[in-house]
Amino acid sequence: MAEILQYVHKDTFLHRLHPYTKIASIIVVSVMCIIATDMVFLTLMVLAMLAVAAYSRLLAESLQQLKLIIVMSVIFILVTIITMPNGDIIGYVIPRGVPLIGGLIPITAGGVTIGIVLTLRFMILIFAFQLFLISTQPRDLVNAMEKVGLPIDYILMFIIALRFIPTLQIEGQRIHEAQLARGFNPGTGFVGKIRSVAPIAIPLVSNALLRSNVLGLTIDMRGYRTGKKTLVRERVLATRDYAVMGILAVATCGFVALIVAQMV
Amino acid sequence: MIELKNVSYTYPNTVQPALHQITLSLEKGRCMMVTGPSGAGKTSLCLAASGILHHEYGGKKEGSVIIDGKNVTDYSSLSDLGQNVGVVFDDPEAQMIFTTVEEEILSALEHRGLSAAVIEERLAGIMKTTYIEELRDRSPHNLSGGQKQRVALAATLALGNDILILDEPTSELDEHATKRIADILKELKSQGKTILLIEHKFGQFREMVDTLIVMENGRITSGGIPDTVLTDDRIRGMVLPDFSMIKKNAKAAVTSEPVISVQNLTYRYGDVQALSGISLTIRKGEFVAIGGENGSGKTTLVKHFNRLLSPTSGNVIVNGKNTKECSIAALAGDVGLVFQNPDHMFFADSVREEIAYGVKNLGIEHGDVIIDAALRDAGLTESAGLYPRWLSRGERQRLGIACIVAMQPSVIVLDEPTTGLDGYEALLVIDILKKLQKKGHTIIIITHNRDIAEHCADRIIRMESGKIVSDTGDA
Repeated sequence: MAEILQYVHKDTFLHRLHPYTKIASIIVVSVMCIIATDMVFLTLMVLAMLAVAAYSRLLAESLQQLKLIIVMSVIFILVTIITMPNGDIIGYVIPRGVPLIGGLIPITAGGVTIGIVLTLRFMILIFAFQLFLISTQPRDLVNAMEKVGLPIDYILMFIIALRFIPTLQIEGQRIHEAQLARGFNPGTGFVGKIRSVAPIAIPLVSNALLRSNVLGLTIDMRGYRTGKKTLVRERVLATRDYAVMGILAVATCGFVALIVAQMV
Repeated sequence: MIELKNVSYTYPNTVQPALHQITLSLEKGRCMMVTGPSGAGKTSLCLAASGILHHEYGGKKEGSVIIDGKNVTDYSSLSDLGQNVGVVFDDPEAQMIFTTVEEEILSALEHRGLSAAVIEERLAGIMKTTYIEELRDRSPHNLSGGQKQRVALAATLALGNDILILDEPTSELDEHATKRIADILKELKSQGKTILLIEHKFGQFREMVDTLIVMENGRITSGGIPDTVLTDDRIRGMVLPDFSMIKKNAKAAVTSEPVISVQNLTYRYGDVQALSGISLTIRKGEFVAIGGENGSGKTTLVKHFNRLLSPTSGNVIVNGKNTKECSIAALAGDVGLVFQNPDHMFFADSVREEIAYGVKNLGIEHGDVIIDAALRDAGLTESAGLYPRWLSRGERQRLGIACIVAMQPSVIVLDEPTTGLDGYEALLVIDILKKLQKKGHTIIIITHNRDIAEHCADRIIRMESGKIVSDTGDA
C-alpha cells in the first residue's frame, strides 16, 4: 500500500540535513514558486526538485503523488479556462461543429497559461513538502518545532495526524472488506459514492475516537506534555547544512538579480 | 504498592456501577491477574488501579485508591502518576506516536530527567528484554500484533516504573506470541516489578501469578491463591475452559458433495508469495479448523472463498461457480465471512438494523423472520434494540456472526471467533457454530486455539508459509 507522507528510513543526503536547513529550503522554494510566473523558470524548479529526490534515492516515493498531481492539474486548467479567459482564443471546449451549443466555453491562451503555472507551483510545493516529511524523523521534527517555540500540544497534533494516515488507510481497507462480505454493493458513480459513505465512515470514525482516548492517556502518562526533556542524539548544524544554506542564499540573490536585470 | 479500598464507580450517564465495592491489595514484587467475562469491569479496574479514573473520568466515585503509599488524588496530574505507574492499554497501535520503534522508546525515555548516557544504556537494555532489537527502524503499521504489543510494553518500561498494569496484552496474539509476552513479564517480575495483569489466558501465565482475581458484573466474585480459586468448578470453567465436553456432531451430517474446491491456488502481492500451490476440497456440512502461526496465509486463503482476493493463478470453485466469474456481492450469498474484529462492521443504530443490512443487500424474502431467528440463535433477542457498540465484546462477536448467518450463506467462515472471550463466552460461540453445522451449514474457522480446533472440528488444516502442511481430512 502506498504510504502517504510517511517517514522513510534511509541514510541519504536529505536525511542527514538538519531539520532547520530543510525548513529554510522549503520557505525559499515556496516563496520563489509562488511569486514566479515564468513557465520556464517554474519547469526548471520542478526538475530541480526531482533531481534532489533522485539524488536522495527518494524519487519513487515522490512520484507516488503523480496521480493526485495529474487530477489536480486537469482541474486547475479547466477552472482557469472557464473563469479566467484572456488573450487569443485557441479552441473551444465544445467544438464549433457541434449544433446549437458549438463554440461554448472558449479556450484562451491566457487561461491555459495560468492553469499551467498553477499546476507547476502545485507540483513544486507537493514535492518540496513531501521530501521534507519523508526524510525527517518525527522526533527531530518535534525537537526542531519545540526549539522554535511552538506549543507542544500543536506539535503533537501535527505529528499524530501524519502518523495515523496509514493506520486509517489500513483500517478503512479492512472495514471495506468486512462490508463487502455483507453484500455491500454501493454501485458506481456519484450516487454510489454517497451511498458508500455510512457503512465505511461510521465504523472508521467510531474506532478512531475510541483509539484517541487511549492515545491521549498514553501521551499524558509518558509525560510528553510536561516540557521537561533530555535531548539525546541531538542534531547539530554540520558543514553540509551550511553548504545548503549557502546555495539557498546564492539562489535567492540570483533570483532577485534576474528580476532586477529584466526590469532595467 | 497498589491498594483499593471499597472502590465503586459509575460512568457518567449510566445507572449500573462499573465497579462495585472493590477491595484489593497488591504487594511489591507480586503479580496479580484479573480475569472475568467481557464487560465485567476489568478495564475500569485497570483505570482505577492506575489512578487514571480519578484524574480523567467523570461519574460517581467512592472509596480510595492508594499507589505507592499515596492516595491517587494527591498526585498532581497524569504525568505525575506516570512517574510511578506504567500502563499498557489494550490497543497497542494507539500507544505508538512516532514512526519508528526506536524513536518511540527513545522519546518515552527523554521525559524522565535522565542523562543522555543513561538513556542510551536503558534503551539498549529495554530493546533486548522485549526482543525488539531487530525492529529498530520499522514503522508501527508494518509490525505484527505481537510485535506491536512488545513495542507498547517496551515504551512503558522506558518510564522505569516499578508498577506495571497491563490490560489484555495478548488478546489478539497466537500461542507463540503470547508465550513471548509471558516470558518477558516473568523476567520483569524476577527483576522485582509489581505486575497487575488483566488476562483471559491464565494457563500461559500460571507460573508467575501469585493472586488470581475473578470479576463479574463489576464485583470481585472470587480471589486468592490460584489453586484455591480454581477449586470452584464454575470459575475453573471460565478461566481454564474445557472444550473436550463439546460433542462432535455425527459425521453423518457430512456429505461427499464438495462446496469449496481450491485448485492449485497461488497468490502473490508485490514480491510476497502469500499462497503457493494450495489444493483443497471442503465438503458440504464439514466443520473445518485452519491453524498456523500469524502470517502463514490463513486469512489470505479464506479471503479467496468470497473473492475479496482473486487468485494470481489457479481456481477457486464455490458451489460449482468459479469465483473469477462472480462478483463479491453475488458470492456473499454463498460464503459469509466474519472478520476477527467485529467492530469493523458495525454502523447501524440498533442490533436489529445491523443484522438487517446484509439481508436487505441480498434482497432476501421474509427478512423479519430470518432476522428474528438469527437474533435468537446468537442469544441477542433481548438486545435487539440496543446500539451495537454498547454491547460487551462477547456479545459483539455473536452479533458479528448473526449478521452473516442472517444472509443464509451455505458456508460460514470465521476468522478467530474466540479472541478476547472468556471460557464461557467462547463455548457460547462454539455452541452457535455447532448448531449451524447441524442445520447443514459448512463451518470454517481460523483459530490459534488448539483445544478448540481439536475438540470442535471434524478436520484440522495447518498452514505454514503459504502452504498446507497437514490436513486431517484429506481422504
